[in-house]
Amino acid sequence: MIEKGKISSLHLAMMMYPTILGTAVLVLPGMMAKYAKNDLWLSSILASLAGFLTVYIASRLHRLFPKETIIQYSQRILGTFAGKTLGFIYLFFYVHLTGIITREYADFIISMFLPLTPISVVITSMLLVAAMAVWGGVEVVGRTAVVFFPVFTIPLVFFVILVYTDLNPRNLLPVMEHGIIPVIKGALMPETWFSEFFLMSFFLPMLTDSEKGMKWGMASVTGVALTMVLINLVTLFLLGQEITTFTYPLMEVARYISIADFFENLQSVVMMLWVLGAFVKISVFFYAVALGTGQWLNLSDYRPLVLPLGFLVFLFSLWDLPNLSVLAHFQEKVGPYYLTSIQIVIPLLLLLIAVVRRRSRKAKEADRR
Amino acid sequence: MRRNRRSSHIPASIIQGQEANHEPISASLSENEASLRSIYRNCFDAVFRPFSIGGKKRAQLVYIEGLSNVEEINDSVLAPLIRKNATDLCGIEEIIEKKISASSVRKVETIADCVASLSCGNPILLVEQESYALSLGLAKWKQRSIEEPSAEVVLRGPREGFIETLQTNTSLLRRIVKSPALKMEKVTVGIYTQTNIVVAYIEGLADQTLINEVKNRIQRIKIDAVLDSGYIEEMIEDSPGTLFPRVLSTERPDVACANLLEGRVIILVEGTPFSLIVPTTFFTLLQSNEDYYQRFTTSAAIRWLRYFFTMISLFLPSFYVAILTFHAEMVPTELLISIATSREAVPFPALVEALTMELTFEALREAGLRLPKQVGAAISIVGALVIGQAAVAAGLVSTPMVMVVAITGISSFMIPHYALGFSIRLLRFPLVLLAGTLGLLGIMIGMIAIVVHLCSLRSFGVPYLTPVAPLKSRELKDVLIRAPWWAMRTRPHLTGKYDKYRQSPGQQPGPTGNRD
Repeated sequence: MIEKGKISSLHLAMMMYPTILGTAVLVLPGMMAKYAKNDLWLSSILASLAGFLTVYIASRLHRLFPKETIIQYSQRILGTFAGKTLGFIYLFFYVHLTGIITREYADFIISMFLPLTPISVVITSMLLVAAMAVWGGVEVVGRTAVVFFPVFTIPLVFFVILVYTDLNPRNLLPVMEHGIIPVIKGALMPETWFSEFFLMSFFLPMLTDSEKGMKWGMASVTGVALTMVLINLVTLFLLGQEITTFTYPLMEVARYISIADFFENLQSVVMMLWVLGAFVKISVFFYAVALGTGQWLNLSDYRPLVLPLGFLVFLFSLWDLPNLSVLAHFQEKVGPYYLTSIQIVIPLLLLLIAVVRRRSRKAKEADRR
Repeated sequence: MRRNRRSSHIPASIIQGQEANHEPISASLSENEASLRSIYRNCFDAVFRPFSIGGKKRAQLVYIEGLSNVEEINDSVLAPLIRKNATDLCGIEEIIEKKISASSVRKVETIADCVASLSCGNPILLVEQESYALSLGLAKWKQRSIEEPSAEVVLRGPREGFIETLQTNTSLLRRIVKSPALKMEKVTVGIYTQTNIVVAYIEGLADQTLINEVKNRIQRIKIDAVLDSGYIEEMIEDSPGTLFPRVLSTERPDVACANLLEGRVIILVEGTPFSLIVPTTFFTLLQSNEDYYQRFTTSAAIRWLRYFFTMISLFLPSFYVAILTFHAEMVPTELLISIATSREAVPFPALVEALTMELTFEALREAGLRLPKQVGAAISIVGALVIGQAAVAAGLVSTPMVMVVAITGISSFMIPHYALGFSIRLLRFPLVLLAGTLGLLGIMIGMIAIVVHLCSLRSFGVPYLTPVAPLKSRELKDVLIRAPWWAMRTRPHLTGKYDKYRQSPGQQPGPTGNRD
């Protein structure tokens, strides 16, 4: 195995939580509200089903091939050529996705905080620290995620407490005014975030307690779903139907907070959340890319690949996304099909093929006897 | 290969000098004397005292002046041996048994052992026609008395500190941990200094692989001199290129013993009061021994205060620079106005102001440390002028900046182990630069880089941020709070895994009526 480090499944859960939520906390409520209106919280619950499915698929595949990642077992399931091709598709996909995430991160920073700073500086600085973590291996990626976990979650709770008096639960009503269809439409986008739980499959082979991997994965999905519902409800209660007009609704919530005329303009806290979440997310994606590429090329160490791959991610983040509206269009119209097909549908097909093959092999063996 | 090349740098004469002496002691007294005299040529402090046992058998007593107890030599060696009735003794065994009243007498067989014994202060007795010598345990030299360590002061707790003498230090440990399970193994390092180093651990608590690793790393050291434990510290670290200390040094026997009982290994070095503790993790460096002597409620609160001010001392100047340069809208209006008024006359941008003030403060601190006591008053007056009202009145710095530097300075003194204080002080400067170029984002990036770096460090195989990352929920009781002693049931997992429990359960005190 390329990676010698080990992490526990609790670390994995704490790592996946900001990986999913890192970018979701800011942009998702607005996007979901566009379709689901005041039923957006139902959409996130619906979308979490995709998360549970993904974790299930990833852990079933892991149980069939306990020491391998998808880059390796795709070759076992489909044969060398088809498997390598599929592996390449996955690597390309994750490099592309990492680029998009990095761009999403940088766009927020530029538009809200540092309008005069060149975007490449913001992207490079983040990719450098992420590369540092990836260089250190899975243990370092996991441990940094654990350190940042409370720093990421506690401010979220504080937000709820600080705006509590201004919340208006009546904004919730009427529930499902236009039936279930808007809810389903609204669930399409968060579903892409939940499908990112498939990244787990890169980490499952390195668990010290792999039998608990699925349990903690499910716990992580539940945590993410609950947090999403919480954020959705808070933004909905505070902003009402106007959520849709904001790109970053949580930012508005932060702007709204004013305690004793001193604790106000807490946007910097949002930025802190955003940077930390984005860091964990990017480093986890980056790690998967680096490890996967190493396995795809049958190398003994992935470290020499970290900087070149980082440069590739840097290019992808600037390449096909001229501005924020193109990014939003991509996330809305392309994302649900692109991400879902690669992170849920293909693994599901792989699992089916693997199970059928194994069954038929067992049947043959039984016949021979 | 590499090691060979390195050892060839050692002057050839030393190697020869050491190897030539491994010849055994000959039966001829004059020959032995000659070889010792040639080794100790031009050494005026080497004393050779020829005499004859009972007036018949010739003998020679050798010792180094100032290292041995001369009165004891006279009373218990020379006087009884010179007396007439010593003549009927023939063998050296009989001399030891009947005449020499020193408590420790050891036979040595080679010239090299004689030299080693002499350097420790033990006189050597050579007797005619005997092919071995006697090393007499009569070493005695001037040593400092045991005092309270000045670098680690406590309000409550034992006040003894280690001193420069190794034997005293080991005895201080032994006086606290009386169990024979406390083992102390001796290693000698340093070609010229021949410094004795003691590796102490508690058998059954410390991991055997850890003990072997420590001993191996110390034995690997080939160096001409060891003047302080700092030499050893740098030679046994896991990876050298980092700001953070991975070895804890302490002057206090109680701290050393507490760590022994958690399964760690102590390295005592002759000639310095600073002992080394391995493995050391980040959070140990933020804990003071007094945390465990005061009541737990107070200690937990003080720990949080300390964590908070450690963050302040790392981030406050950069935070101030970032806010003023990039995010002025985040400051409440009235506060912003008062800061802006005081900054009106200042010609520098906040970044330059912060950097100069921080540098000046560091200079003052360093100057104050090296200053002769008589000049101390001068520096405090000058210091108050440089960082203070005069600087503000001159329009060079603003009052808020003086406050920021002062608060940062005070909080950096709150870190109980100054080795960590150094790293925090140094990290402040790149953070200020990042804050001046990228604002809050720069601080975040810097912080992430620091955390990633901390996560990748190890001290003798133990991850540096244990028990937070990797998470050990059982041990958080000694990091998030200081659990009361009756709740500290388990030892730290990575070092003390052999004997898991410290104490028996259910010792929580309470009024007698309410028990069970």
